[in-house]
Amino acid sequence: MTKVLEVGGYAAGYAGRLFVRAGYDVVRVEQGVKPAWASQQAMNAYLHAGKRRVSLDVPIADLADAADIVICEADRADDLVKLGFDAWSTPVKVALTPFGRTGPHANWVASPNTILAMGGYTNLMGDEERVPLTLPGHYLEFQTGAVGYSAAVAAAYAKRSAVADIGMLETLMSLSQFTTVLWHCAGQIRGRHGSDFWSVAPSDLFRCLDGWVYVNIVPTFWDPFLALLGVPDLVLDTRFETNDGRREHRDDLRELIAGAFIRMTRVEIDERAATYRVPLGVVRTMDHVLAEPHLEERDFWEAIETESGATVKSPGLPYNIANRPRVAHRTEAVR
Amino acid sequence: MTQTAALGPLAGVKILDLTHVWAGPLAVRYLSDLGAEVVKVEAPFGRGPQVFPYAPLGGWLGGEAGDDPWNRNAIFAKLMRNRRSLCIDLKSETGRNTLLELVAEADVLMENFSARAMPSLGLGYEELRRSNKRLIYVTMPGFGHEGPLKERVAFGPTVEAMSGLTEMLGYGPEEPRNTAMALMDPITALNSVAAVVTALQERETSDEGVRIEMSLHEGGVAYSGPWLIDWQLGKPNQSMGNAHPELVPHGVYRCAGADQWLALACCNDDQWRSLAELLGLETSWTRQVRQAHTQQIDAAIDLWLAPLSKQEAAEKLQAIGIAAGPVNTVPDMVADPQVESRGFFVPYERFNTPMPGTPIKMEGVDPDTWSACPALGADNASVLADWLGLSEETIAELASAGVLHDKPPM
Repeated sequence: MTKVLEVGGYAAGYAGRLFVRAGYDVVRVEQGVKPAWASQQAMNAYLHAGKRRVSLDVPIADLADAADIVICEADRADDLVKLGFDAWSTPVKVALTPFGRTGPHANWVASPNTILAMGGYTNLMGDEERVPLTLPGHYLEFQTGAVGYSAAVAAAYAKRSAVADIGMLETLMSLSQFTTVLWHCAGQIRGRHGSDFWSVAPSDLFRCLDGWVYVNIVPTFWDPFLALLGVPDLVLDTRFETNDGRREHRDDLRELIAGAFIRMTRVEIDERAATYRVPLGVVRTMDHVLAEPHLEERDFWEAIETESGATVKSPGLPYNIANRPRVAHRTEAVR
Repeated sequence: MTQTAALGPLAGVKILDLTHVWAGPLAVRYLSDLGAEVVKVEAPFGRGPQVFPYAPLGGWLGGEAGDDPWNRNAIFAKLMRNRRSLCIDLKSETGRNTLLELVAEADVLMENFSARAMPSLGLGYEELRRSNKRLIYVTMPGFGHEGPLKERVAFGPTVEAMSGLTEMLGYGPEEPRNTAMALMDPITALNSVAAVVTALQERETSDEGVRIEMSLHEGGVAYSGPWLIDWQLGKPNQSMGNAHPELVPHGVYRCAGADQWLALACCNDDQWRSLAELLGLETSWTRQVRQAHTQQIDAAIDLWLAPLSKQEAAEKLQAIGIAAGPVNTVPDMVADPQVESRGFFVPYERFNTPMPGTPIKMEGVDPDTWSACPALGADNASVLADWLGLSEETIAELASAGVLHDKPPM
């Protein structure tokens, strides 16, 4: 079985999670507890189930030399050097750092919110006249981990020795939507507009009787959306005939939609979305996500035994290769 | 053979790209950066009509529509490097049969149509597999092909609301927000890349192809994993604005100038001592004490930042070991000395338009070998000659029969 050594925080942890589920033998070297957006018990169960975990006082170079692949995450470029990364003889080595291994900021101190800010995400989230919002959770690290995993497996596929240098800031910037070309080709800087996608109207978050609902009504869906709202006659309102018109009369439209949704329940809206085939998402809270019949029927969840012995439902792989059955994993303690 | 593939570890892997919009093309771009040889299979109207009624969302390459506006959509071009374009009418029997012949030569086919589209063209997985049992087939329906939600219309922002993220993002529990960035798309894109390389590696031993289903919905829910586990453990999380459950201070703070901001996080007690000295606060405060003084700390940070630009403030804080970074717009990002020094934005595209590069720096992954987004149908002849060995005469017949195109029909 191919041996993977995982060193570092949540990005390396996410890469290791993918390796475990692809059938690799993963050993994780623990380097202390990093701040998280959830409890450590949850982070361990989600990321580290199915791995063997060892403490940092083990001879890390020996483990690295015995591995086929190393995924090593460090806070700064120099920390990789201190770990001895360059001397390890592992055929495939992947370094994950906030800014990459070179450049004037390679040793800057970072946290996910500072990288999200520098990478252009934060400027787009939140309301126009208010403080921008950072993204909660571990999107940055998990996406970087997925890139690290892919680079390592691609190198292994090519039967090549490889050293990869992957920066979190660059990972984020590679995932920009249309902001960069909007600037370079149209000279415009995209701003933030709350939950409003802005170029499509309506595309926004609305309160309903017992929660929230997001709608994204590109022109094809305008007529069925009005039927869903129970105001089909609005199709005759010339202000709202085109997307441009709906954008121009955005505030009036918002008021009309808000007035309709506030009388409906989440369940009712979901039923109507299915009936009228309208792109709409009723906001799920965590208990709603866990109870989603769709995910149950698709056998999405894994059973994970936590360190305390409790068994929880954890998301399975985000890709379904030929309907493989989900598997159960245990979260081992550090040895 | 025309060389358009980069020289990375996936050199020799042949991909048929039938994707559109964002998640699919982004995934294929990543794979092409790693060296895969990609043929973009496009419908005659795949890039829109000959005359555009309005400018595309990301503007035009070169700043104007030109004589071939369908080839100048900047947001499209951004995702389409390192490909050859085959514009073919799959609704014709000849077009469909030609695709099946290409499938026989391919390693991977990726599409992100609705669940019904490929079967309705007679190109469902079983049909494709009959042409090539080693084919890795990637399909990306919003909610998957099975389950009660399979017929629901899915866009990134609507699926995001159903993933758990919208509950956690916002100014507080009563003010949720959506990213309005269709975040499920880049999540699905990178998951797809991981899935394809996994399947390629596994095929080395199985010698069998496989069908991979990507669900936007499951990708989003997977990223909420730790919160979902906490909820079951009786430790529910909630939206905290820019605060962090463990770090104090942690936030986004106003700097000098209009709409200028700085993100800052104090990651441990050592960092706090440095920051407290700078701000004139008590250096001995532990995290628990700092939590009780959040307002006082935030006010001191605001006061210190008020006369400083975001870049100046970040430099000063970094100099004393504090995690800080400016809230960048695109021009800020492009001018960032770190980004410049690593050559992240690369001008391989027409008009020297800078495009985002790849975060993977490894031997063989070389932006100098990248090619610009091809014109629609620019490679019809070379693809059919290289992959299928078709003669010039046969290719000319396909073009005159309306199976191949190099511009959108009138």
